Order: sequence, then structure tokens, then C-alpha cells
Amino acid sequence: MDVVIAEDLWNDEGEGVIATWLFQNGEFVRQGAPLAEVMYEKAGMEIPAPASGHLTILIEPETPVRKGQVIARID
Amino acid sequence: MSATPRRLTIAKAMSEALGIAMEQDPTVLVLGEDIGALGGVFGTTQGLLERFGAERVRDTPISETAFIGAAVGLAAAGMRPVVELMFVDFFGVCMDAIYNLAAKQSYFSGGRVSCPMVLMTSVGGGYGDGGQHSQCLYSTFAHLPGLKVVLPSNAYDAKGLLLSAIADSNPVIFMFHKALQGMGWLGTVPGSIVHVPVETYTVPIGQAAIAKSGTDITLAGLGVTVHHALQAAVTLLQEGIDAEVLDLRTIAPLDRKALAASVGRTRRLIVIDDDYRSCGVSAEVIASACEGGVDWLAVPARITYPDVPVPYSPVLEHPLLPTAAAIVDTARRMFHRKAA
Amino acid sequence: MKPSPDARLLMYAQMFKSRHFEASIKAAYLEGKQPLFNMAKGPIPGEMHLSSGQEPCAVGVCAHLRADDTVTATHRPHHIAIAKGVDLKAMTAEIFGKTDGLSGGRGGHMHLFDPKVNFCCSGIVAQGMGPAVGAALAAKMRGSGSVAVSFIGEGAANQGAFHETLNLAAVWKAPVIFVIEDNAWGISVSKRASTAIPRNADRAASYGMPGVFVADNDVDAVYAAAGDAIRRARAGQGPTLLEIETWRLEGHFMGDAEGYRPKGEVEGLQWRDPITRYRQGLCDAGVESSRLEEIERRERTAVGEAFEFARRSAYPAAHSAFEAVFVE
Repeated sequence: MDVVIAEDLWNDEGEGVIATWLFQNGEFVRQGAPLAEVMYEKAGMEIPAPASGHLTILIEPETPVRKGQVIARID
Repeated sequence: MSATPRRLTIAKAMSEALGIAMEQDPTVLVLGEDIGALGGVFGTTQGLLERFGAERVRDTPISETAFIGAAVGLAAAGMRPVVELMFVDFFGVCMDAIYNLAAKQSYFSGGRVSCPMVLMTSVGGGYGDGGQHSQCLYSTFAHLPGLKVVLPSNAYDAKGLLLSAIADSNPVIFMFHKALQGMGWLGTVPGSIVHVPVETYTVPIGQAAIAKSGTDITLAGLGVTVHHALQAAVTLLQEGIDAEVLDLRTIAPLDRKALAASVGRTRRLIVIDDDYRSCGVSAEVIASACEGGVDWLAVPARITYPDVPVPYSPVLEHPLLPTAAAIVDTARRMFHRKAA
Repeated sequence: MKPSPDARLLMYAQMFKSRHFEASIKAAYLEGKQPLFNMAKGPIPGEMHLSSGQEPCAVGVCAHLRADDTVTATHRPHHIAIAKGVDLKAMTAEIFGKTDGLSGGRGGHMHLFDPKVNFCCSGIVAQGMGPAVGAALAAKMRGSGSVAVSFIGEGAANQGAFHETLNLAAVWKAPVIFVIEDNAWGISVSKRASTAIPRNADRAASYGMPGVFVADNDVDAVYAAAGDAIRRARAGQGPTLLEIETWRLEGHFMGDAEGYRPKGEVEGLQWRDPITRYRQGLCDAGVESSRLEEIERRERTAVGEAFEFARRSAYPAAHSAFEAVFVE
């Protein structure tokens, strides 16, 4: 399952940036657990795991991201 | 016990601990500057105002003497206040309430009036905030009888220590290091973000932890310096030196038993302390270890921040801060190997 | 006391210079902090507290000050330093952490010291007030006729030092003026939520001195009120408390998401920019556009030169961190 930046996570169409991944590549994560912190306009937002499984990180920290973008996969 | 990892930053762990305590005990309240709607400048009280309301989560004016003094009175009256001193460097304006009132309430009353108060405060520099916003001041507080002082190096310990601090009937200074806090606008040492169980649990005050066991040398650290020590231990192992990293966790009362046990085995000690050098926790750790009677294989050493105010310019500040490389160099010299 | 036409042009020049300086600092501060804002990175690390919007407070007061008058300021000092005549190149170099900075990179943006114009600032709320009273007492004992001015925010009026120093200044009849820059916010907490009375100027009476409120960030009104207070002080009539209604156009510190400010507040304030307003007033009073443009060009150049100086300046040698802890 894709881990996506939700469309309603922030209001405008600007870019956020991934600040921190709380897990490493390959780690098992539980549904609902915070996976990463994304900064938008100086406010931090958590991205929760949409499902349980093993994490594959697709976007590294300090990389800009847009709403709707896939930042990781859980298998 | 939850099996799968749930990683939290220290900031999240602290606000989680506060939420648990406030849920379980209606006498717990939080006071401080910007701890309400903002959730704390360092994220320590996120979500609390929405859950518990403004009576128990109180933004204060910039009046530390007044609201910390008030916390002492609240504690005497049977409440359990948790008060935030935004930067430890601000203690100058309110120290009387801390060291003359909170710290001596039990003693002056013969134990009949306690002070179950927690003072949480940010410590540490290394990010260019200058001489009045970058200090550690561990020994300034540890030096004063009647205060307990803790400093977690990771989110698991942060939640457990904060719950212990709130449950403690004595005043506890709960320090959190800015380099470990997990704020998005300040770099965070990744090792501070660890698995934190959802359940309520405590970490005992006065108990150090072995962050990495070893046989050849004890590296004693607190807060961010634990992470420097862990990094140094990796390098040293590649050179055949098996270091033990002791996370002090509590600055006062120091776990002298754990320290004695560790140096009793390794017989070499380096203390790493990012506070000012003279009269620091590092000196106390070495003196305590010596008093325990150790057959030293090398003279104990300390790696500290020097006796100068914290300068602003990074080219001035950064060389003064303890690093893993400095630990490795000092250890090599202890083993009579050439420093890099 | 209304400012003369020349004084008004000088004040416009200083406000324009100050705002341009802050805009340039903001741009330099954000270098190296993209895309992820990490406070430690870039040529200007640490916190940054910009004064954009508060220029009238500094300029209207400092218009009456001499080099031998003392000013103490806070964590938001740039507009006051500029208005006081602090060496702009050395100040900029200090903020960039360079060896040619006011203290060779030791102090940084919150700890700017320029003894040539008796200016200093520090970062703990209200703690600069005591030193201002001391400087004023020294002036009185020496009979120099100089005064001291302590700039603080409205949040400082709830700090113990405020009450102690006002009382002491009045007891000593010290030639000191306390200037509150009331921008209504102490980080995320509003003045209304934290202060027991609506007007801090009203507190002055409790301490035996006049309290004067200046509305609407009006630099001419600040000039008038400050002129009176400074004249009183020089004449040996003691301290005054000035409370100036102002506003900050940026966050408390750069990186502040300002979620606590009501929606539309900042945009609304930008329509009332005191500098744009003042410029319009000067045009309406007959000042030629070309004159104003010449002033703006000159000030932009001065700021540009200060930034070039700062960037070209070398970083200090690491061992200098150990110097100046004590004097010989």
C-alpha cells in the first residue's frame, strides 16, 4: 500500500518537506503508527501508517513533497 | 507490552506522559509560557489544552518568579504542578523559588509539607543561539540539596522519567536537551527517537542505564553526550577497544552504585559533559568513582565544554562542544595509542 | 513638540534603512535553511527576531539621543541599534559571526554591544532595565546631562525586574526613560490574556512617574512624547514610562508558524505599514518624490555595503573563543 501525503493535510498547493523518518527502511510498522514528520509552512505534521507491514522509504529527509505524492510503500 | 515499534520524539513522549498523568490524577496541572495553544515552544505540551482545558493548562505571563513561586504554593496545597521554564538560562530571574523554596519545603517543615512539583526546562546549544540561550547548567541545579535533576537521552526514558517525576513527592528538575527534542526546525540526533510503549510505565529516578555494555573502558554521559559516546564506542570497537556506555539519566541523585560497578569492571573512565567544565557534573562523577576505591588502569578523564560563555559564531562554538572524535582520541591515549 | 521637516526626512530615512536591513537579514537568514528550515544552518544560525513594523518606536525616540546617551534593548534590537547609530558594518558582521563583528562573533544578534554609542542589548526579558537605571545614575552623578533609555516589550511589564527598576528609578530620580514597544504578543500569548490592566502606561503612577501612551505606531507622535520625556530627564526631573502601540509584521522569531495570530491579522497590518504611511504623509506635505527616492537609494546602498562588508569579512580564529572572558 502506498503512503501518500493526504490532500487535506495542508490548505494551499505549496510544497512541504520531509523532516524526519521515525523508522528505517525494511522495518515493520503497525497501522496508525506515526511514520514521518513533514513540515509545511513551519508547522510539523505526522504521517501515520495506513496499514501494517514492512516499510520501503521512497523520499529522503529534506526533500520537498507535494500533496498526493507517494513517499513510501508498506508491504 | 506492545511488540511492534512505535517511535516517538522526546517532545511527543513528554506530552504523552503529561496526558497520562493528567488523565489519572486531577491534581496535575501544567503552567508556563506558550504551553497552551502553542503546545510549548519545544512541543512538550502538544494536545493538552484541547484535552484538559484552560483551568489545568495555563499560559502564563512572562513572570517566572510569580508562576514558579505559585507552583511551590500549589504543591504545598496538595496539587501536583508541572511548570515549564522555557530555557534553563532563564533561571536567573526565578531561582529563589526553586532552590530556597521548592528545594527546602520538606526540610524546613520536618517532612510535613512536601513539594511535588516538576520543573521542565530546555538545555543545550550547538545551533547558534548565543550565550544566554545555549547553556546546560546541570551542576548548577545538581549542586543544591533538596532537588532531584534528570536528563533523558531518548524518548523511552523521557516518558518514564517524566511519569516518575510527576509521581515523586519532591521537586524534580526535568531537563530536556534541545538537540534531542525532535523539533522540525532544529536538528535532532536520530538515536533519541526510539520505541515508546503506549502503556504507562516509569523509569526510576536515581538509576543510571547501561546504553552499551563493554569491558575495557567506561564512557559516562548524559543527554546528548550519551549519543556521542555510543558513536565513539563503534569506532573504538573497530580498534579492539570494547567500551561500556553509561547513561547517567539522573544527575541528582547520581547512581554512584552503577558507576562504581561499571568502573570496577573496566578500571578506565571518561566522563563526557557538555556543561561548563569547572565544578561540573564531570568532576562529581570522577570524584565519586575515585571515592569508591578503583584500581585505575589510567587516570580518569573528562571531556567538557570549557569555562567560557557560549559564543554565537559557529566557528567559535562548535570546536568547544564535546564530540565522538574527542572521546575516541582521549580513549586512544588512555590505551597508549597514538591520537589521530 | 512636532518634528521639523528635516527631522521628518531623517526619521523617514532611518525607518527605511531599518526595514531594508531587516528584509536583507531575512533573506540572508533563510539561506541554507531550504527546503527544511533547520535553525542551525546557513550563514546566520540561531534565532532571529525581526523588528519590521516597529521602526517608529526606535526612530522617534532615538531622534533626541546623543552618542553619550545610553540605550539598552532586547532580543529584537536591530531597528533600535540602527536608530542609535551603531556601526552598521560591524553590526552586520557580528550577525554573520565574523571577526570584524562588534564582538568578533561572540555575541551575535541578541548581544550587540557598541560602546562608541553606548548601545547594548540582551536576551532575557526585562533584564536590560536595571543597567539602564545604572547608566542614568552614573550620568546624574557625573552631571553629564546624558540620559538612558531602556527599550522593552509589553510582556516585560509582567516581569519582576520591571516593577523593581521603575520604583528604583523614581526613588533615585534617575534620568531614564522606559519605552514599551507594545506589539500585543509575547510569542503566542496575547497582551490581553496575560496583563491584568489594558494600559501599561497606567502602571507608571504606581511608581511615581508619568506614563504616556502613544497610539497607532505614529512616529511623529513618538517623537513628540519622547522629546518631552527626554527633556524632563535632562532637566533633572526624573524618569518617564512611554508605552507605544506598535505591531510586528513577522513572527516572534523566524520560523514561527504564527498559528496563534487570528486569521487576517498580519495581512491587515501590512495595509497599515507605518513606513508606507509616513512616506505618503511626506508626499502630501509637498516633499518631492525624487528627494525620497534619493534617500531610499542612499539607504539601500548603505545597507548593501554593510552586507558586503560582512560577507567579505573573515571568520574569527577558533582560539579567540577563549579571549575576552575577563579583561586584563
